[in-house]
Amino acid sequence: MMIKLLAVIERDLKKFRRNPIVLAMSILMPIIYLVILGNSFQGKLTDLPVALVNQDTGPFAKRLVENLMAIQAGPRTFRLVDLTDQQKAVNGVRAGLYKAALIIPEDFSKRMTVAGRPDLGLFLDNTDSISADNIRSLILAAAASLGVDYVPIREVTNQPLLRDINLYPKVDYYQSLVPGVVIMAIFLGTLTTGAFNLVMDRFLGIDESYLLTPLTKADIVSGLIISGLGITLMNAGLVFAVSLLITGIPISRGLLNFVPLFIIVALTTLCLLSLMFAILGRIKHPRIVGVLSGFLNVILFFPSGSVYPIASFPGWLKGFAAINPEAYAVDALKSVLFKGAGMTGVMGDLMFLVLFTAVMMTLSILTFKRTL
Amino acid sequence: MQNDKAITVSQITKKFGAVTAVDGIDFEVPRGEFFGFLGPNGAGKTTLIRMLTTILKPTSGQAIVSGFDVAKDPGEVRKHIGVVPQASTSDLDLTGRENMDLYGRFYGIKAAERRERIKNLLDTVGLAQRADDLVATYSGGMRRRLEIARVLVHSPALLFLDEPTIGLDPQSRRVVWDFLRKLTEKASMTIFLTTHYMDEAESLCGRVAIIDTGKIIALGSPAELKANIPGNDIITLAVGKAAPQDVAGAVEKLPFVHKIKPEEGGEIRVYVDNGPKDLPALIDAARAVGGEITSASVHEQSLEDVFIHYTGKSIREEEAKKVSFFIGAGLPQRLGR
Ligand SMILES: Nc1ncnc2c1ncn2[C@@H]1O[C@H](COP(=O)(O)OP(=O)(O)OP(=O)(O)O)[C@@H](O)[C@H]1O
Ligand SMILES: [Mg+2]
Repeated sequence: MMIKLLAVIERDLKKFRRNPIVLAMSILMPIIYLVILGNSFQGKLTDLPVALVNQDTGPFAKRLVENLMAIQAGPRTFRLVDLTDQQKAVNGVRAGLYKAALIIPEDFSKRMTVAGRPDLGLFLDNTDSISADNIRSLILAAAASLGVDYVPIREVTNQPLLRDINLYPKVDYYQSLVPGVVIMAIFLGTLTTGAFNLVMDRFLGIDESYLLTPLTKADIVSGLIISGLGITLMNAGLVFAVSLLITGIPISRGLLNFVPLFIIVALTTLCLLSLMFAILGRIKHPRIVGVLSGFLNVILFFPSGSVYPIASFPGWLKGFAAINPEAYAVDALKSVLFKGAGMTGVMGDLMFLVLFTAVMMTLSILTFKRTL
Repeated sequence: MQNDKAITVSQITKKFGAVTAVDGIDFEVPRGEFFGFLGPNGAGKTTLIRMLTTILKPTSGQAIVSGFDVAKDPGEVRKHIGVVPQASTSDLDLTGRENMDLYGRFYGIKAAERRERIKNLLDTVGLAQRADDLVATYSGGMRRRLEIARVLVHSPALLFLDEPTIGLDPQSRRVVWDFLRKLTEKASMTIFLTTHYMDEAESLCGRVAIIDTGKIIALGSPAELKANIPGNDIITLAVGKAAPQDVAGAVEKLPFVHKIKPEEGGEIRVYVDNGPKDLPALIDAARAVGGEITSASVHEQSLEDVFIHYTGKSIREEEAKKVSFFIGAGLPQRLGR
């Protein structure tokens, strides 16, 4: 009994070891992903060109411009370009020369002091919504600090002070990607081990001779899952360690929480391995796996909450996230890594993963055929 | 009664959609027999073997293999048989020895026994030197020899060989033949073999079934099969001196002569029961009418003739296709369907 199972496992490990490129890629790829994702979403905006047309000589306009200059000098989010012609400024935005054009009308200061609403004209290149949002909020802040109730946030008369109280140690965006990247390493591992062996053997026609031996369904499925688990855990562990190093999360935090982290990673691996078995159980051509892998990666990874919070999803996507095992895995990893939650804190996530694994395993055993 | 039969098949049928690959076949193979299946491409040989070896479910009918029903007890059947499939099934990422060891373990054979047996088998098929190279570096014939050795790691009592000598050079083929013959003679194994090679069937098999379009159209020992077809052996005589007509007339009267056919250049073809035995009498009869035989050749009826007689086509015509099948062995089975 055991001898057969071990033979299946050993065959898989040997074949894997003889293909070091696969190993190197499945470790390198998630890490490169981390670096690219971390820098493409998170980079600070600087030196956005903003055209400024000041037609007011009054004191409030002067103060507003000073405020804007302070931003230009400090965080350097934008760079002001002084213009006199309003039309030229707006055309410049259309032509892409400027990200925005701010017009301070002649009567701005007058309206500030006397009755009436002071208006600022802000023309935004809203095709680049992230830059536009940034500029808008900075200019709003600059205007608001003039101390007077003036434009869109009229209802806020005496501004309440909003002070951030961080519940957990500071997590920057880069660090918050680590759970997602580990999950991606697990995904890649489970895709290229486990059920993929079945597909390859079928494609090469060598499954025939394995089916002819006394190997049982259980030998084949559990053997491939065990070897897949071993290989994937090793990959994910390496990716985890390297990600901690790159993003500056203290390794000690990883070590302190080793047991819950290990359980989460192992369970997620089993979960995805059984999902792959259910999906690939009858596939005969590796090209189908190729097509599926890109698709599965996107539909599991992006709605997992690892890149962008699930709360921002529309209802239907939230619904999908509710059955997406990667979402539970990311949540569990974030809880342990960033909130210091122990096993009890992630019990709900773990229960879901166990349940999902059980359903997929049943499905795989039902669909796996022990004939040609 | 069941016990002296290695294989009992009744009315076994396999349909792939509209194609009936195996069409209600019945036969029995007693233990210890070397049984051959001959048939052109697409006759249904591989499909039949796959059903007998449990990896394809019959559409209908029954097969008892090694005492177990292939449909009800596939696990038991698998324990008792060894199969060399038609297509190459060695794992290219493993060495020859590892491939064999793996199979030994699938059958639960202990390490020490495995090591010993694998070494002997690799020696027998001439792969001892290359045993620790990856199979990916083997030639086609080496892979085939490895597969033949592999199937014996667990010393099964019943062997299924689907075109085992495909792609082997004449020498290797002889080696494999001798080896297989010894298995049935010394180890009293039962062997079920399919082949396209007449000489292989004739030299190895105790009984041969000829299968075409899914049906058995003839079954018997090679000698019986040959005896059953009309015309039998052919003696070609070259006649000097006397007019060939006289000789032909005299020869035709002999009781064992079935038919006479004059050929170009004064030769006559004589269809007789048994060529080597009947030749002297033929020569005597020709002399009696003053004819002189300048040369004579005897063409004994072969399985090839039997095959052509029953199927209406020569098996050799199909030979070229085999090569491409071998290369394309890994293609999905439902390609183009
Ligand atoms: N998986 C399949 N799906 C559909 N048709 C099949 C399948 N396998 C075999 N066939 C068809 O069944 C028939 C018998 O095929 P089979 O492979 O048994 O022939 P064979 O006698 O082994 O031929 P060869 O000498 O070429 O190996 C053919 O017509 C073939 O096309
Ligand atoms: Mg065949």
